[in-house]
Amino acid sequence: MSDFIEPLRRRLVELGCPLAQVRRLVREVADHREDLKQAAVSEGLSGADAEARANASLGDPLALAEELMTALRRSSWWGRHYVVTFCLLPLLVYPVLWTLLLLLQMAFGFALGCGWNWEKLHVVANNPVTFHHLTTAIQFMDYAAIALVALFFCWLARRSAVSLKWMVTACAICSVVAVITWAKCEPHSFSMGFSMNSHLHMPWFRGAIPLLIAGAIYVFQRRTTQCFREKVAG
Amino acid sequence: MKKTNPSFLNGIPELLVLRLLARREMYGYQIVEEIRTQTREALSFGEGCIYPYLHYLEAEKQVSSRRREVEGRNRNYYKLTARGRKRLEVLTSEWNRVTTGVSQLMEEQYV
Repeated sequence: MSDFIEPLRRRLVELGCPLAQVRRLVREVADHREDLKQAAVSEGLSGADAEARANASLGDPLALAEELMTALRRSSWWGRHYVVTFCLLPLLVYPVLWTLLLLLQMAFGFALGCGWNWEKLHVVANNPVTFHHLTTAIQFMDYAAIALVALFFCWLARRSAVSLKWMVTACAICSVVAVITWAKCEPHSFSMGFSMNSHLHMPWFRGAIPLLIAGAIYVFQRRTTQCFREKVAG
Repeated sequence: MKKTNPSFLNGIPELLVLRLLARREMYGYQIVEEIRTQTREALSFGEGCIYPYLHYLEAEKQVSSRRREVEGRNRNYYKLTARGRKRLEVLTSEWNRVTTGVSQLMEEQYV
């Protein structure tokens, strides 16, 4: 069993195949191998010979793992066009998604804090202490919107079964766009835009958010793979 | 398909798998064996290569799968969906068009 199935499993994990898919693929190939063995035994071969023939029929487990991964990638548009998805799409999608998410959070906050009452909002804006709280809240909403856009691309990379480098690339592009986009809150006014010379406090931190997320997922994925390998070896 | 098959056979695995699954629910090994025996070994899948095709077809919603126990063995059985049936119709008519054209050309050569 371990001669064929374990190298296949290990290679699939190394190639970044989602673990649920690994389990399913390995189970199916193991079933197929068992059928081949039974067919060989019914032809009069001994157990060892039947196993050897089954392995030979299935071919190289490492090559099979590569083929299975290619098929998995080809099964989604994102996986087939990974350069467009993870290099070009972040440039186009980031501004739209970030704006939508930020406005959605602000609308939610406005409904929750002021009950859609503009008079209340003006009262908050006129008071320096409450206005400071409001700008802090909007700043966190901005960070959350950036994080959600980055997480969206991480999810897309995972779903398309592309390698981690494409996830990191998409997050790096999100990071650059995050540095040049801004959202500014002043008493009785709110503005958003693009600028190379951002007037925001700590614009680099906005750029660091997608990179931190990519880094955290990268480490998590590596650790999960390592644990899986140890579990398989043990 | 085996790597030795020429490139004009691209697309045939999909046609063969859909055609077989149109008859009844089958599992991977069964599909490989059926293709081998019914084509009198003219065509054969590399044993493990059937699963990428099946998973691709499943992702395209042309087939669906379920785990089923038959005679003490648990296996993933695949069956054709409505979308798969439509795709099979398209592929079959395309195949008929191509084979008719090729046959006509081959016949004329020997007249």
